[in-house]
Amino acid sequence: MSARQQSKQQHDEQTQQPSMAASDAASERLPRDPRTGQPLAPRHQPGYYPGFSTLSQQAFWDDATRAVVRKRVEQPPAITYFDEAEARVMEAVCACVLPQDDRTPDRRIPILPVIDERLASGRINGYRYDDMPPDAEAYRLAIQGIEGMARALGAESFAALGLHQQEELLESLHEGQPLAGGEEFWRRMNVRRFWLMLVSDCASAYYAHPWAWDEIGFGGPAYPRGYMRLRDGQPEPWEKVERRYEWAPPPASRSESAESLSETPEAASFAPGSH
Amino acid sequence: MKEPLFGAFEKADPGEHHLGPNQRVDAAMRHYPRDEAVDYVVVGVGSAGGVLIQRLAKAGFSVIGIEAGPFWDTERDWVSDEAGSHGLYWEDLRMIGGKDPLALGANNSGKGVGGGSVHWAGFTPRLHPSDFRVRSEDGVGADWPITYDDLRPYYELLEREIPVAGPPYFPWGEPHGYSYAAHPLGGVAETLVRGCTRLGIRSVAGGPVAINSGSHGSRPHCIYRGFCIQGCKVGAKQSTLVSHVPDAIRHGAEVRDRCMVARVNMGSDGRVTGVTYFDPDGNEREQRARAVIVSGYAIETPRLLLNSACAGFEQGLANSSGVLGKYLMAQIGNVVFGRFDDLVRMYKAPPANALTEEFYETDPRNDFVRGFAVQTVGPLPIAFAQHMMVAKGAWGWGMRRVMMDYNHWSALGVLGEILPWEDNAVTLAEERDQFGLPVAHVTFNLHENDHKVADAGVRKTEEILRAAGATEVAQEPRYAHLVGGARMGASPRDSVVDGFGRSWDIPNLFVCDGSILPTQGSANPGLTIQALAARTADYLISERENAIAARPTTQVPIRYDLSPAEVAGRGMPRLKSRHPRRFGAGALGPGSRG
Repeated sequence: MSARQQSKQQHDEQTQQPSMAASDAASERLPRDPRTGQPLAPRHQPGYYPGFSTLSQQAFWDDATRAVVRKRVEQPPAITYFDEAEARVMEAVCACVLPQDDRTPDRRIPILPVIDERLASGRINGYRYDDMPPDAEAYRLAIQGIEGMARALGAESFAALGLHQQEELLESLHEGQPLAGGEEFWRRMNVRRFWLMLVSDCASAYYAHPWAWDEIGFGGPAYPRGYMRLRDGQPEPWEKVERRYEWAPPPASRSESAESLSETPEAASFAPGSH
Repeated sequence: MKEPLFGAFEKADPGEHHLGPNQRVDAAMRHYPRDEAVDYVVVGVGSAGGVLIQRLAKAGFSVIGIEAGPFWDTERDWVSDEAGSHGLYWEDLRMIGGKDPLALGANNSGKGVGGGSVHWAGFTPRLHPSDFRVRSEDGVGADWPITYDDLRPYYELLEREIPVAGPPYFPWGEPHGYSYAAHPLGGVAETLVRGCTRLGIRSVAGGPVAINSGSHGSRPHCIYRGFCIQGCKVGAKQSTLVSHVPDAIRHGAEVRDRCMVARVNMGSDGRVTGVTYFDPDGNEREQRARAVIVSGYAIETPRLLLNSACAGFEQGLANSSGVLGKYLMAQIGNVVFGRFDDLVRMYKAPPANALTEEFYETDPRNDFVRGFAVQTVGPLPIAFAQHMMVAKGAWGWGMRRVMMDYNHWSALGVLGEILPWEDNAVTLAEERDQFGLPVAHVTFNLHENDHKVADAGVRKTEEILRAAGATEVAQEPRYAHLVGGARMGASPRDSVVDGFGRSWDIPNLFVCDGSILPTQGSANPGLTIQALAARTADYLISERENAIAARPTTQVPIRYDLSPAEVAGRGMPRLKSRHPRRFGAGALGPGSRG
């Protein structure tokens, strides 16, 4: 059995025994040590490349790239598209779609400001589906749909739900079959297309950040220096070797058991052309 | 913070227009007076437009290339960063629908001088001889009005001008070789070659790809940084921006960038008079020309001709056949991912690094016609996250975990032939763009043969990854490239342009870009588009005045002397073809071991 399968099995055992999990709200959201079931303390840098820092290499980048990446780190945009109430819901949604509870608070990557800036500036990805409203409008409708669903689950807002119910609600969007409560809003769009736009927007913000590059061992900008060790996964002298550790998602989380969407009608990818 | 051993790298020069670290726009650009009619206006300075304006200017014609996007300065405008590269893509609104809507934007549409060649991965295989005779050989799709033999000299010419790096022996289609060395392999290419070798499938490595393996003129060789589709700051990957546009400017072509052409104007004599466009400040301007070549690619070309409808041409220009906008094609582009216990680090080396065309041709043992290629893909983190969002349904902690394993994954792409279908079409939508012009609506449906090609391609690619040692595979549907929409043909009844790109309806209106392809094979279209542009240019140059009147010929002298200086007059090794000039269906079938 691989380490990953092992961790998955232990995780499954834990989720069947919720009493083992710590119960207070903050630690409910922390990943676990699969051997002990105990919450793992948040890290300055999660991931398997401890000590790797792309930003430490910025003197080797070209000026234009350095300016773009530093601005991203140092000056996250202000929220201007969403109003305060919408932003609260979206913050909670983003915290489930791209959870960062394993990061210390000072090292969390801004996601909502990046989405907000895109919508405020009207930037789209170059197309709109016939069965979708404009992106910015779709987000507004979806927030109302999500709030309607949260109320049907007995909470005053999505932000007030526990992790398990939050993820259950989002999973229903993943499956294209939203839970009851937001029908009048979801009727006006293809739900799964909205879901894919949301996950894509969150992931695009997170994995654009150099702290995320450090986490996954991606070398980051590489002009004009380039790479010289192309084979066998070898690191450049300034990269790090992988040092894995085991972790399990928080026991209440269900996002890791999501089904592939490859067989769904909405599947065709919009990732940039790659061949 | 670490510092480079020998101090900081050189900064961009003030007042210089950089096309890579060493190359500059080295001649003052000519500006034609606004009230003067020029010989040619080329709409769109991309893969085809860049080659066309270079050829036409060098042969002495007055030519203006009008480009909707910017004339890039690669040092200032481009970054080594996924999220910072959106400006390279056509991200203005287009509507998409049908059963299988085609994602556009970054997936297949460039904007700015160089067009899609700025963000292509750079695979440059030729079409196979059979691709020109799909209707005759397989009873589907369409035949081209030209043959492989007509295009071969232009493939050879552009392979030198780009220049293409590749293996000394490329065994598929018409076997041929490349005179520039193949590139070293990165981790993804290793998995493709290893998997294919273990299954007895022939593969080639290190090309063919439009990336310098040695320096070429003032363009350096590749540094293997993996940001090919974010625009090559190195200048190693070819775009017409770095390979042909500088020579065009040297010879008197004008490039009007950030100018959006609104319509092609008709005169009362049934000939076009020029174009109307919006300049960078939004002012409407007219540019008269003796002939217009539309090179806006498969969406914008039909859109412009449809938007140019006028009295006598109510259905759009060059549309008496009714097929303008129809027979649009993308290629099957499913990406198949394999997870390996060992690290791959797929961000290193060019994404376009190895391929097999063993399953390209019709195989009578299949329950479908035509076929597919398998190629390397090297998605950077954001693209990989988007892929995993579908392929594994990843979100939440599942997304975080699979991304922590980014360096363990390899990604291979199926590149499969989708046949031309009438219902796959560009029409005008009700929505309008920032200029008030109706935007394109793109309808796309896969048909049965297309589904079967995709399924077979995915199964074979999964097999290759597993043979290479992958312990887990996942795949996601995707499309690659765009062609068709203004197809060439032998008859004005069922095509928009003839074999040289001249519209059947209007003698001085030409189309030259990916939209004129009647079929597409399983080869990336970039090389073919550039080769067709060089051929159309030779036609226009050899015809001189007649080209602007109407008297098509079929024999055109090849102008080797028009290549950029680094290339002109130089040869390349040519393998003697062991096959007859006419290729029958059986002669080039897939290898028996597949």
